[in-house]
Amino acid sequence: MPSGPPRKVRDARYGALATLALAGFGLVLIGLLRLQVVQHDELQRLAEQNRVRLDVLRAPRGAIRDRFGRLLADNQPSFDVVFRPMPAESVSRARAIVRSAWLATVSALVQDDTLAVRRRVEEANRTGQTAVLRRNAPYAVMAAVEEVRADLPGIDVQVAPIRRYPEGMLAAQMLGYAGEINDQELSDREDEGYKLGDLIGKSGIERKYEDVLRGQNGAEFVVVNAMGKRVSTLREGPPRLPVPGHDVTLTIDLGLQRAVEEAMAGVQRGAAVVLDPRDGSILAMVSKPAFDPNEFSRGISNARWQELSAQGDNPLLNRAVQSAYPPGSTFKIVCMLAGLRSGLVRPDSHQPVACNGGFTFGGRRFGCWDHRGHGSIDLITALEFSCDVYFFQLGLELGLDRIEQTARALGLGERTGIDLPAEVRGLVPSAEYYNRHFRSGHWPRGVLLNLGIGQGELLTSPLQLAMMTGEIANGGHPIRPHVVRAIQGVPEFKIGKPVAPGIEADETAWNAVHEAMVRVVSAGTAKGAQVPGIEVAGKTGTAQNPHGRDHALFVCYAPADHPTLALCMVAENSGHGGVVCAPLVGRLLRTTLLGDSLAIARGARRDSTAADTTGGDVD
Amino acid sequence: MTRLDAPLVDWPLLLATLGLLTIGLLTVYSATSVPGAHQGLWMKQLAWCGLAFAAACLVAGIHYRLYDSLAWPLYGLSLLLLVAVLAVGTTKLGARRWIALGPLQFQPSELAKLATTFVLARFFDHSRLDLRRPRWWLPPLLIVLVPFALVAKEPDLGTALSFPVMLLALYFWAGMPAGQLLLGVSPIFNVALFFVTGSIGWFIGLFAVLLAFARPRLGLLLLVLGLNGAVTFTLPHLWNHLHDYQKRRIETFVNPENDPTGSGYQIIQSKIAIGSGGVLGKGYLKGSQKALAFLPMRHTDFIYSVVGEELGFLGALTVVVLYVVVIVRGFRLAAVARDGFASLMAVGIVTALCFTILVNMLMTVGWAPVTGIPLPFLSYGGTALVVNCLQIGLLQNVALRRREF
Repeated sequence: MPSGPPRKVRDARYGALATLALAGFGLVLIGLLRLQVVQHDELQRLAEQNRVRLDVLRAPRGAIRDRFGRLLADNQPSFDVVFRPMPAESVSRARAIVRSAWLATVSALVQDDTLAVRRRVEEANRTGQTAVLRRNAPYAVMAAVEEVRADLPGIDVQVAPIRRYPEGMLAAQMLGYAGEINDQELSDREDEGYKLGDLIGKSGIERKYEDVLRGQNGAEFVVVNAMGKRVSTLREGPPRLPVPGHDVTLTIDLGLQRAVEEAMAGVQRGAAVVLDPRDGSILAMVSKPAFDPNEFSRGISNARWQELSAQGDNPLLNRAVQSAYPPGSTFKIVCMLAGLRSGLVRPDSHQPVACNGGFTFGGRRFGCWDHRGHGSIDLITALEFSCDVYFFQLGLELGLDRIEQTARALGLGERTGIDLPAEVRGLVPSAEYYNRHFRSGHWPRGVLLNLGIGQGELLTSPLQLAMMTGEIANGGHPIRPHVVRAIQGVPEFKIGKPVAPGIEADETAWNAVHEAMVRVVSAGTAKGAQVPGIEVAGKTGTAQNPHGRDHALFVCYAPADHPTLALCMVAENSGHGGVVCAPLVGRLLRTTLLGDSLAIARGARRDSTAADTTGGDVD
Repeated sequence: MTRLDAPLVDWPLLLATLGLLTIGLLTVYSATSVPGAHQGLWMKQLAWCGLAFAAACLVAGIHYRLYDSLAWPLYGLSLLLLVAVLAVGTTKLGARRWIALGPLQFQPSELAKLATTFVLARFFDHSRLDLRRPRWWLPPLLIVLVPFALVAKEPDLGTALSFPVMLLALYFWAGMPAGQLLLGVSPIFNVALFFVTGSIGWFIGLFAVLLAFARPRLGLLLLVLGLNGAVTFTLPHLWNHLHDYQKRRIETFVNPENDPTGSGYQIIQSKIAIGSGGVLGKGYLKGSQKALAFLPMRHTDFIYSVVGEELGFLGALTVVVLYVVVIVRGFRLAAVARDGFASLMAVGIVTALCFTILVNMLMTVGWAPVTGIPLPFLSYGGTALVVNCLQIGLLQNVALRRREF
């Protein structure tokens, strides 16, 4: 006998399950009958002509504004010449239409290669998707198309939004640009609902905040006539309205951004970052040379793209976050802090060997930048005049671990976590690093000399240096640099936690560093950065560059007693930081701190009401 | 008792399966005969058919006691593979469902379905089984929950749902009273009705009727009331606290048709294809190209639309009849099976199969969401074909041994 319940019970359960299954299949049959008998005529008609087309209703991309609501990016309509596929008995009909005469006329109209047009039209007929033949067509082309459209089946005009950047080249690399999605991006992100012809952020904020900026396309099913003209909306599928993208408000201050761009007008290649040391918000970010993102919106030719991306200056590169430079003497601040924190030196400590313009170590002579020599000086004076000989010896005293630990606590050698793509990590060498590059445990102590003055393997981005300066200005509190302040409609948007832990040091150490940096500007290497009536604290740097002239660097914060901005400026291949950058920064600081335009940089309250009251000059 | 002269191989089941495989091959050929990317796929499908048939013969030949004893290891292995697919799987059309084995792609969720069936059948085939006590009905719930969650995460809601559906059928088959079963799943109806009607009134009415029929014991009554109460009071709150985009994501997860640029378009094209086929169809190879050139999944998930268009209602009806033969014979085998494990295994297999078939067919006629599950025996696709044939092989296994002593 079979185990389990008796046969009768099994039969009853069998009956129940079979009945349920039959009911399901019955439902399928009802569905089939509804389509194939009741709605047959109507669906037959639609199939014969296959006149149902899916029209995408494009969602407008979110706007980007500065902290006071001034516009940095929005959308404007453009006109595309498109080919609507001929779904109706498509193969034969399409063949009949796409004859050489048709192709010749259309190619001439859109001013494109006959072969390219043919390829796109065939692709459209195969996939049933609309093909764009001429994006952002100028008025003359539109007029010509309108004139002859009736004789050109399949050709249509479609309105599509393109991106507009009213400030042109201003903050171009930070804003980035949005362009038509390419095949690679399409296959990578197909499951996120991207379709051919969609805009997608390619770089900068446009890319990093793609998900909030893009919105959600809507769509409707339309019934079209044989010429591809819309007759009605299909009642089977109600239209789904597009959901606009979210507007994004940046921490950038457009006025300050302009001032930095103007100050750097003469710099061929370089970068600058200005941030608020109190919270890490980026107030301005410049990278030179720049490009005009509007060029990409209008559709960029292959040749122009090559020109922009391949040339040595690479304007598409955001040097402020994507380039790393040796910090040069700006790194002496780190060594000074490391020395004071560890108790190895006091502010008034002298080094055993006085500066006579050079220092002999391991049988080699290492020169000070000032060959006349600085004599025997204390720590504060050494920073003021950036004495290399002092910091050679300090580097040797500190040793690798103390230097590395202090640099990393300030966020060097690690990505800051800024909300911009492709940030560089930079490099703070560790013992492990040297073990990898020299025989393990046998790297020369001479590397410490180089580290002491910020040369050698060290690499930092201008952003990292600005963050470091900000953290020194605020007494060692860690900050998280960020460019987006708020996203409209996403109240839960939050700025991430700082990546590095920040730094702790006692009161005397901070006072010494601040005093030394103030003296750098008031009497030392950076007198060009002075602002009448306001104390500025800074440090110059000159980064040796094996490929050409030295890079000039300058970091500073101001006002020194209650800092509201910290900045870093780098000018590639242009010489000494004190000679090149400090005067530029000085001009910038005088116009912004003394001028009336920048409430924020002058330390006005930075709550949200500030944004409302000053947001008047939107054009 | 079964008649002693009854043939051992279940011929109706076998013939119906072969019929479906033939129709499937012919339709794959037709659907991929349009110039395009998929030409020649029917050859591959033919090779898969051969492999699947051999595999089916193999599993039919081995005594099902082996599957009984291997149930847990197989279940463990399939869970590992499900975790692996989430970690290193291949993403296609927005879901991670495949693991690449050299040139082949393999869908662990299909294997998991079989392994879970074995484990459940083994569990319910216990001499002291008493489904009135939680210690007996709770473990199967957990057994099903793990693969369900992993498959739903891929996301593959269509396949994931076949796990709980299978469990319900097995509860029923193992002796849980139908009323009690309905009470148990009432929170799900509660949620569903809330979404559909927007009010709780409908559910309360139905629930009262159900209570009157089922007359549950006090413990169960309290449990079910508690569950429903919790769902009723927390759901609207939870929903209102979600952000719009989160709501949209859930809606699209439950009903991808909501995305009109994606599957909504396919549904409309599918309806037009089937509807235009009429009663007699447009003729084999003659109809589909125009309408279906717009349907990207015409040889896989939407293959039934091609049948409906080319062979009309009569062709579609034939397919339905063949499926009905498979399903009804399957349940029949479960009823006459030699022992408890075989019987329960058959019910699990047939239920999962039936659920997949119905969800796919109802999708093509526009009455079920597009969840991306293929039509067994007809759709192009290796793993599914092999596993579906294995399922038939296992049913034949039960048939072969139904007179064993």
